[in-house]
Amino acid sequence: MTAPSARVVAPSLPRVLGQIRPRPRWQELRLLTLVAIAMAVGSLSLGAVRTEAFGLYDPWGLGIYLGTLLLAHLAQVLAGRRTDQILLPTVAMLGGVSLLLMERLPQNLVVQRFFGTAFGLAEVQLIWLVGAIIVATTLGIVVRSDSWLRRYKYTWAAVGVGLLLLTFVLGTEINGQRLTLQIGPVAGQPSELLKVILVVFLAGYLSENRALLVEQDTRVGPLRLPPLPYLAPMVAMWAIALGIVVVQRDLGAALLFFGVFLALLYAATGRVSLVIIGMILFLLGSALMANLFGHIQTRIDIWIDPFADPLGAGYQVIQALHAFARGGLLGMGLGGGLPEIGGRPPIPEIHTDFPLAALGEELGIVGVVAILGLYLVIVERGLRIGIAAADDFRSLLAIGLALVIGIQAFIIAAGNLKVLPLTGVTLPFISYGGSSLLANALVVGMLLALSDKGVEAPPPPTSVSRWRRLTRRGPAR
Amino acid sequence: MDGFTLVLWGIRLLFLMLLYLFLARVIRALLRDLRAAAREATDRPGRLVVLESPGGEPAVGRSFGLDVITPLGRDVNNAIVIDDPFASAEHAVLTYRGRSWYLEDLGSTNGSYINGQPIDGVAALGYGDEVQIGQVRFRLERTRA
Repeated sequence: MTAPSARVVAPSLPRVLGQIRPRPRWQELRLLTLVAIAMAVGSLSLGAVRTEAFGLYDPWGLGIYLGTLLLAHLAQVLAGRRTDQILLPTVAMLGGVSLLLMERLPQNLVVQRFFGTAFGLAEVQLIWLVGAIIVATTLGIVVRSDSWLRRYKYTWAAVGVGLLLLTFVLGTEINGQRLTLQIGPVAGQPSELLKVILVVFLAGYLSENRALLVEQDTRVGPLRLPPLPYLAPMVAMWAIALGIVVVQRDLGAALLFFGVFLALLYAATGRVSLVIIGMILFLLGSALMANLFGHIQTRIDIWIDPFADPLGAGYQVIQALHAFARGGLLGMGLGGGLPEIGGRPPIPEIHTDFPLAALGEELGIVGVVAILGLYLVIVERGLRIGIAAADDFRSLLAIGLALVIGIQAFIIAAGNLKVLPLTGVTLPFISYGGSSLLANALVVGMLLALSDKGVEAPPPPTSVSRWRRLTRRGPAR
Repeated sequence: MDGFTLVLWGIRLLFLMLLYLFLARVIRALLRDLRAAAREATDRPGRLVVLESPGGEPAVGRSFGLDVITPLGRDVNNAIVIDDPFASAEHAVLTYRGRSWYLEDLGSTNGSYINGQPIDGVAALGYGDEVQIGQVRFRLERTRA
């Protein structure tokens, strides 16, 4: 920017943009530089293995990705908001690892046509990654008020349930799971969006009724439960989501919803007893459903002994375990894993459900631990943002959003490593998939917006909830 | 081992090292952030910010750090003195118990309000809620970490 001379008055920008006061973000720039160097080295490593000569593998894709990151950084500098500077580089690192992985997998796993041109796996993933960075940055710059979330929490809940019902009725079936909704040219998996909506609803509901949930008890025998009437709407929302999810056979999403639900309930009330009761209920429910539905029992059988049917049901899990074993401590190097057996990747659905196994093979346990560490960083940032937030709604929202990413990463990482039964959720920011990337970008964008230190105070509550008035006469004890 | 394999091996290790370098830098930033927050942290559980005060005492924008028990009223012995003709001498008490805030009206002439609703005895409130005593409006806020 040129400094305006004393006489000339700088033309005022339109009011929509407000005053532009750029604010440098050196920490973010330093970390992004480190991401760029790491990606270049990774690309070199991949290129050396694939082409047997030193040179960057797919320099164009790398350039587009890093260029988008630079633009996102510059846009945030220009916007001048005091938002978090660590989230974007961390997500950029995960996205970069994803890009390197997708470039290395067989490109014909996914072929999509846009405007008559066919794009392979890595190209489609690159398009979604760029889209995700744009979404996250835009939200982090534009969102200044949260009343559109806190005022309309029931509307959002209705939208979420509606989306699920729509998927159930109109969705297309892929691999026996009816998860994909196609409206015109746009196709997506609503359960990814639903997890964000669920957090918004729970944060709104819990912050409004927190005082009451903490203070009053319903006694059922020796148990002290929160007042049941006030838990009902929340449980209803959760049961609707879970019920449809179970009917849709999307176990991973069900597990994720339950984990987020319990974690937020604990964050809001501080009652360990609730979490324990929830877990017992969950175990009972799982046992019941395993008896009722064959596919759940199959998943558990595979988990207990995948070698019972090594070429059939257990094939995927066994191949993943072999991949981790081949990787060992330091891995085979990027591109050094077994690329394909008979024209197919060794692990079915490697690009969506098993990217961690592929990374385990190529980067070893050392690399996998680093990647899991990056998810921990995201969770830590979210919890810090939640603690520093001005009021309960923003606190619970930030905590819930961060935990969605953390719990989802845990569920699929544990599934890949045979710690938990395998459930098909995506590894955030690494798995292939537009819905997953965009939904997680929404989460990061909202965390960025919530982290602004100079943001305006939360809107005053318009009316007191009638639940909040505890009619207790007499002096406080 | 030929040179190509050796160099490739070096590049592979370098990539892993860069991953960890990034992680170390991020964690260092997080620790610095945590330490800064710990230095600034107060033992005050919250604060009351004055939003509106026709009498000018307390002044608009002033922020009161709150103790576990904070009496409010016109009398000078209150922790927060509200010089307003509609406030009683001992008007209300704000207490922090468990993990929640409570406002108790001490039988004041004109009552105490949370978010514009008169309270009846003791009422729970949360961060972001507005308290009105006489003509003075406050907002309960979390102490900034």
